[in-house]
Amino acid sequence: MIDALLARRLLLVTGKGGVGKTTISAALARVAAAKHARVLAAEISYESPRDDEGGSGTLTSPLAAALGVPPLVDEPRRVSDRLFAARLSPLAGHLQFLRDTLPMRLLADAAMRSAAVRRFFHAAPTLAELGILYRLLDLLKQPWDVVVCDLPATGHALALAQVPQALATVLRAGPIHAAAQEGLATLRDPKKTTSVLVSLPDPLPVSEALELHEGLRKLAIDCAMVVLNRVPSNPFTPEERTAVERMVVDRARTLGARRLPRIDRAAVAHERLVRELGLPVRTVRELDDEIVARVAAHLGGDA
Amino acid sequence: MRKSDSGERPYIARLLGEKRVVVCCGAGGVGKTTTAAALGLAAATLGKRTLVLTIDPARRLAEAIGSPQTARAPVPVADTRLAAVGIQGTLSTWMVDPRVVFERMVNRLTTDPAQAASILQNRIYRALADLVAGMQEYTAAEALYGFVESGDYDLVVLDTPPSRNALDFLEAPRKLSLFLDERIIGAFLPGAGGGGIFRSRARQVAHGVFARIFGEGFFEELQQFLAAFSGMFTAMRSHAESVRTLLKSDASSFVVIASPEPAALAEAAHLERTLTGDMQLPFSGYILNRSWAYTRGLLSPSQLELPANATAVDHAALAKLEQLAAEELGLAERDRRLLASLRHPGAEAVATPQLDGDIDFAALLLIAESLVACPSEDGVQPSHR
Repeated sequence: MIDALLARRLLLVTGKGGVGKTTISAALARVAAAKHARVLAAEISYESPRDDEGGSGTLTSPLAAALGVPPLVDEPRRVSDRLFAARLSPLAGHLQFLRDTLPMRLLADAAMRSAAVRRFFHAAPTLAELGILYRLLDLLKQPWDVVVCDLPATGHALALAQVPQALATVLRAGPIHAAAQEGLATLRDPKKTTSVLVSLPDPLPVSEALELHEGLRKLAIDCAMVVLNRVPSNPFTPEERTAVERMVVDRARTLGARRLPRIDRAAVAHERLVRELGLPVRTVRELDDEIVARVAAHLGGDA
Repeated sequence: MRKSDSGERPYIARLLGEKRVVVCCGAGGVGKTTTAAALGLAAATLGKRTLVLTIDPARRLAEAIGSPQTARAPVPVADTRLAAVGIQGTLSTWMVDPRVVFERMVNRLTTDPAQAASILQNRIYRALADLVAGMQEYTAAEALYGFVESGDYDLVVLDTPPSRNALDFLEAPRKLSLFLDERIIGAFLPGAGGGGIFRSRARQVAHGVFARIFGEGFFEELQQFLAAFSGMFTAMRSHAESVRTLLKSDASSFVVIASPEPAALAEAAHLERTLTGDMQLPFSGYILNRSWAYTRGLLSPSQLELPANATAVDHAALAKLEQLAAEELGLAERDRRLLASLRHPGAEAVATPQLDGDIDFAALLLIAESLVACPSEDGVQPSHR
């Protein structure tokens, strides 16, 4: 399953906010690096106007945190022997776009230095997504074996593909049109690109994952695999479970028994995803100890 | 519910009583939309005329409150439904529809109906308004301001969009101002008067660059769009400023929603720093969702009675249940420590319980109650039911 997944050069890791996309992206990138020589992990980063104007950086870099490296920058930096990481920012994409479009590199750099041009690119809706897409395409021209891209929360994940579609209808010619078309072609080629859908084992996240899958299908983007994250472990055999049901009178008021519904929901979630999507579903166990340790580390570091 | 002896109201009750705007921020997946709805319900319980603006389509939540997912205007929760649980105030909800908000803004800010029509029919406008990306942020701020100004509500609770940078929407008015900056617009508008030689040179350069990038036809269309829009620019910019002023004022309050997960907590700490630092926004405190902290009055598995003819399976099952119970107590302890660590001067914190299954009206009421309940001595509110 993993080998089939890693046969594609671009893996888009997507899912609703809070499902653990970033952790899964980092893990997939490490798995890829165990099998390939040059792997790039990328996260999407929208600069705020403050960053753009050299103000204080207000962005977090969750992928960098998950990989245990300093905040990511536009140029890929080495994480380990075979793994690199970078951020995809609109600004880098816009600059590259201008360099590719305008006759002289000097002119592109000058244009990008012009406050008016920068502001226009930054503020015009959709151009940010296009910049990110352009940067992604540019990175794909480099000799990476696999690029794992941690997409932001659902709305934006689809926007990345919706934007070229919309732009291609507004701009019927010119370099932006061409870039949008090229972007669409790459995203829609299942030999080159596929997506990994991350979800949690609860009814609402599963519904949202199904909706997201439908959104991807409409945009003609392949989906290779579902990762069901934070699945609670079920310690009971079926017989033991029956015994527990006999003993526990009030589930909601009995310590330990309050966790049974979660275990049941996880089983239902798994079954529903398999049934509705017909895709491989990988489960990742909930690691309470690890969560506690990381929470402790976080609090310690923050105090 | 226990009454507080000091008579001091818990912080959420105080906010809902005093503020006109409460903004819910937080990482994705922490239950922001649910919390926004519960805050609205709690405010209605206090007798307020309340509006909850949600950004994220949340079908089940809409069902829980009994409002349709798509509507052109806020939909009130049936009075009978509220009255049945003794709620005096009103509660309306609306899922912000970017297209509706923009259309309304264009109609309000243009005096000439023909001009409004020409903007709304412009191909570029329509493409922009149709796209999800970025538009949610613009329109959330715009909708918020419109409803506060209308005077129809005592309190508006805003659920922020699920973007990676949870405060993007705060930048939206500013971003709008930047986009509408005359220096940019001036470069595009055909024959925009004045400005001397530098303006016209700048225009030529910009024209050259953009025509090359976008293609000649698009540039002409953009000019038409901007020309049609130009009458509105001043009004829109002052509007954007007003939104910022409102959000910075005493009438507003920002609450950061977190859940007991490392990513959510890291984001929460980051949000507080951003809100209170650069942005100087009125931050009040935290809501820790889905916490296990409520354990008072719960039975321990060791108190369960084994049947007289208990088998090895029964014993094994009980031992495993005790293991789960021990883990749960560990989680409860963790969440109480978390709650305590979130509290500091300038930030209060309250927990809402872990609830099972789908969020229905009864579950929302339970969350609403725990939000405004008085804290007990161990820092967690009394358990319900």
